[in-house]
Amino acid sequence: MASENGSILKQFTDGIVANNPTLVLLLGMCPTLAVTNTVENALVMGAAVIFVLTMSNLVTSLLRHLLQPHVRILVFTLTIATFVTIADLTLRAYVFEVSKKLGPFVPLIIVNCIIIARAEVVASRHGVGRSVADALGCGVGFTLALTLLGAIRELLGTGGITLLRESGWHWHLDPKVFEPHAWVVMIMPPGAFLTLGAVIGVVNHVRARRAERGGK
Amino acid sequence: MRKFVRESWLILALGLVFATLLACAQTAFQPRIQDNQARALNEAIGLVVPGTVRTERVRVEGYDRDVFRCLAEGQTVAGWAVEAVGTGFADRIRLVVGLSPDARSITGLKVIENVETPGLGNKIAEEAWAAQYRGLDAGRPIVVRKRPPAADRNEVQAVTGATISSTAVTEIVNRALERVRPGLERL
Repeated sequence: MASENGSILKQFTDGIVANNPTLVLLLGMCPTLAVTNTVENALVMGAAVIFVLTMSNLVTSLLRHLLQPHVRILVFTLTIATFVTIADLTLRAYVFEVSKKLGPFVPLIIVNCIIIARAEVVASRHGVGRSVADALGCGVGFTLALTLLGAIRELLGTGGITLLRESGWHWHLDPKVFEPHAWVVMIMPPGAFLTLGAVIGVVNHVRARRAERGGK
Repeated sequence: MRKFVRESWLILALGLVFATLLACAQTAFQPRIQDNQARALNEAIGLVVPGTVRTERVRVEGYDRDVFRCLAEGQTVAGWAVEAVGTGFADRIRLVVGLSPDARSITGLKVIENVETPGLGNKIAEEAWAAQYRGLDAGRPIVVRKRPPAADRNEVQAVTGATISSTAVTEIVNRALERVRPGLERL
């Protein structure tokens, strides 16, 4: 894992690249597989996770000197659960349709490993600035990874990408080249594993090559 | 007692603070959420009973879910909208089925809540598939087939690759109609 003693900016960018929770740390795989069937679902899930991660790291960092060992996990869980509930209520109020499609996966953010891992590793040991930077970095990294996976799956699986906003605004991308040959498997569970595996494979290859070149 | 307070004061304090925060969030958002749910229901009713301008919730003996009397312009009854819930392939399915004023035939169907497989099972929420129910006889069970429905039979064709979701919707409709029509005919 990249060093935690660098600048706060590095803490942020590490969350997106070197420590990307989905593609490098391999945390939070369950929602990754489940909500990347469309780009819209991926983006909304990413936004919810950024919010929860940031608030959780912020609160944990503020309380870090008060955490007696036997209440650590309790405090983490209490904090995360509260903010996830707030996020869920917000989604149900403002993007009702999408929240219905995400189903149980928004409440399940409570048990998303990314959040409790960052609380334990960074927020409970470092100041507010570094903790928030880490949260934003990991959150953005998670969102970018999910959006990439979602774009691949939705494009290959349905032939286009559609973002339908509640207010009637509608963004649709349809290259028409895929339409007649859409691979329905891509929007189903096997497609999730195939896409995730392929993307992680590419990422690992790139990282190995860079390590080789860096080591010389 | 002192030991208890010393070891758990943080949890108690956080519990209090977070509970307050949640109560505020709930109060702030609940009106919007209820509006969203009501809007989804009203949109669905408008689709399944064409010509509806106003609805009145009615109590139907023997049926414990929502039933609406749908009124058209000039106070005439345009039909009835019946809410029904059941288990689908993935989780629960909630739908609204529209009936003609005499409750003899189906005027429309709309699935308003489902978490069926995207691209397959969730085609039950699509206009094109649900349109099959329009005009069917509400007095006989509807049958699901894997081929186009025969004329003059109470049949619908399942979504290809989503037989279970399709059958679930049909069963929900059949069961709801069986239970609601006796009470409805008395209204």
